[in-house]
Amino acid sequence: MSLLNVSVGSVDLKSPLILASGTCNFGRELSEYYDLSILGGLSSKGLTIKPRAGNPGVRVAECEAGMLNCVGLQNPGVDYFIENDLDYMAGLDTGLIVNVAGHSHDDYTAMVRKLDPYKDKIDALEINLSCPNVKSGCMSIGSDPNEIKAITSDLRSLTDLPLWIKLTPNVTDVRSCALAAQQGGADAVVLINTLLGMAIDIKTRRPVLTNNTGGYSGPAIKPVALRMVSECYRALDIPIIGCGGISSAKDVIEFFIAGASAVEIGTASLIHPTAPVKITEDLEEYCSINNIELKELTGTLQLW
Amino acid sequence: MAERQEYVTAVKEIRYLSEDTVYVGIECPDIADRAVPGQFVNISCGKFLKRPFGIASVNKDKGIFYIGVKIVGDGTKKISEFEEGSKVEVLGPLGNGFDFTGVDKAILVSGGTGVFPVNFAAEYLKGTDTKFTVVQGFRDSSQIILNDPSYVLTTDKGDRGIKGTCIQGLDSLTPDQIEGSVVYCVGPIIMMKFVGQWAESHGLKCYVSMEQRMACGIGICLCCIVKVKADNKDGYYNKRCCKDGPVFDYEEVIW
Repeated sequence: MSLLNVSVGSVDLKSPLILASGTCNFGRELSEYYDLSILGGLSSKGLTIKPRAGNPGVRVAECEAGMLNCVGLQNPGVDYFIENDLDYMAGLDTGLIVNVAGHSHDDYTAMVRKLDPYKDKIDALEINLSCPNVKSGCMSIGSDPNEIKAITSDLRSLTDLPLWIKLTPNVTDVRSCALAAQQGGADAVVLINTLLGMAIDIKTRRPVLTNNTGGYSGPAIKPVALRMVSECYRALDIPIIGCGGISSAKDVIEFFIAGASAVEIGTASLIHPTAPVKITEDLEEYCSINNIELKELTGTLQLW
Repeated sequence: MAERQEYVTAVKEIRYLSEDTVYVGIECPDIADRAVPGQFVNISCGKFLKRPFGIASVNKDKGIFYIGVKIVGDGTKKISEFEEGSKVEVLGPLGNGFDFTGVDKAILVSGGTGVFPVNFAAEYLKGTDTKFTVVQGFRDSSQIILNDPSYVLTTDKGDRGIKGTCIQGLDSLTPDQIEGSVVYCVGPIIMMKFVGQWAESHGLKCYVSMEQRMACGIGICLCCIVKVKADNKDGYYNKRCCKDGPVFDYEEVIW
């Protein structure tokens, strides 16, 4: 698998493929389908300081080339995770990324304080400043570069663990958000989380989702993600993990060319649980035929 | 070899059971072998997400499992247009089925498309020592499918069988059919709630098969939730319909 080895800053991954938070839970269900050790890593379900029940009602709506979700960060809480899931994930022989979400600045710092003692088991903390489905925190913090910088630098002072800031595409200028993360001391940014959207039932004239809005994911958002990765690559010194609609090896290669050093696969796993297996095989074949290491492709895009 | 896999297979049979309902046989020996009543499959239908369907029957010899599909939207319409040989992607068998362990007597109750999983349950129980009674509820006679003369039949309209809902059907059962039974129910939410209440009032345990809009069907996205009672500050917990269910204890569900 050496052709697929990549590094995200100080974090070496045996594959560029990371399962995106919220699309792999804590790994148990997908491990029934394939050996997760082929992956570069898993990003845990987004965790909060207290358990969260998530949003009520209908949480998913199918859309063109994608879907909306409004799960709302349902999770068992960080303490439960540490007690019940951390060791399981650490034993999967793949990168362990813990996704950290919160309602407030203090939530994030408290979470990182709780997780820092487990740094031997964790490869990186993914700071979720981008979930669109909660009323406070996350995206509302992650839309403001000043907040992004302030939170990142606070967290930086609390841990040596690599900090990956997962950013929202629901902003006018994603570069200023990514730069704020960099200035705050982030080790990498993850681009992008879901796009805020709505689906409407014409019979009831109501939104399909009980939360009214949700996050749009799937192949439809890939062009948006590629544009943002490309823009940020040219502005940043820190690495980018690309995410958004990736469902094939070709998609992964596009993200690398745009500037990604690794990628996250999300919605593809919901449709085809073993999608990463095929993508891995196809990437190996591509690299082998072209006699290239995947990481050589990062940022090789030539703009017109 | 992984414990579970994705199947790319083909439709072997397809026929209309009624004006708006098709019965589809799909080749997959693994699923035909392993499925138990109450479990479901996720089927590709030319749309973005797969669609979940309760397994209606299996033919282990032929390696085929069957689903019933009522045409209600774009996805089910596409499935109704499948032909013999149509390629289909399948995940399954998914979820937890009905537990009949130690059950001497069962009452199987179906409403609407709940007729499919109940059909599988009845087929399954024929090969066991468990005695069972089936109560089927339909809107009107044009909707009646997979009926057997031994079943208690109800129609809302009253143009065949007992006029009324499954509750009237249940009320028509003899004390011998009722006493000591466990109730298994699949149908619309409101119907399952009333059947659960009926069971409770007769001192019977009741299991229901819940339905919710699903994405993955395998427990990773947390989209299809069922609110269950919990001893926490919220007083409830959202379980996953696909992975923790779809069969739930009636008493556990917050209706």
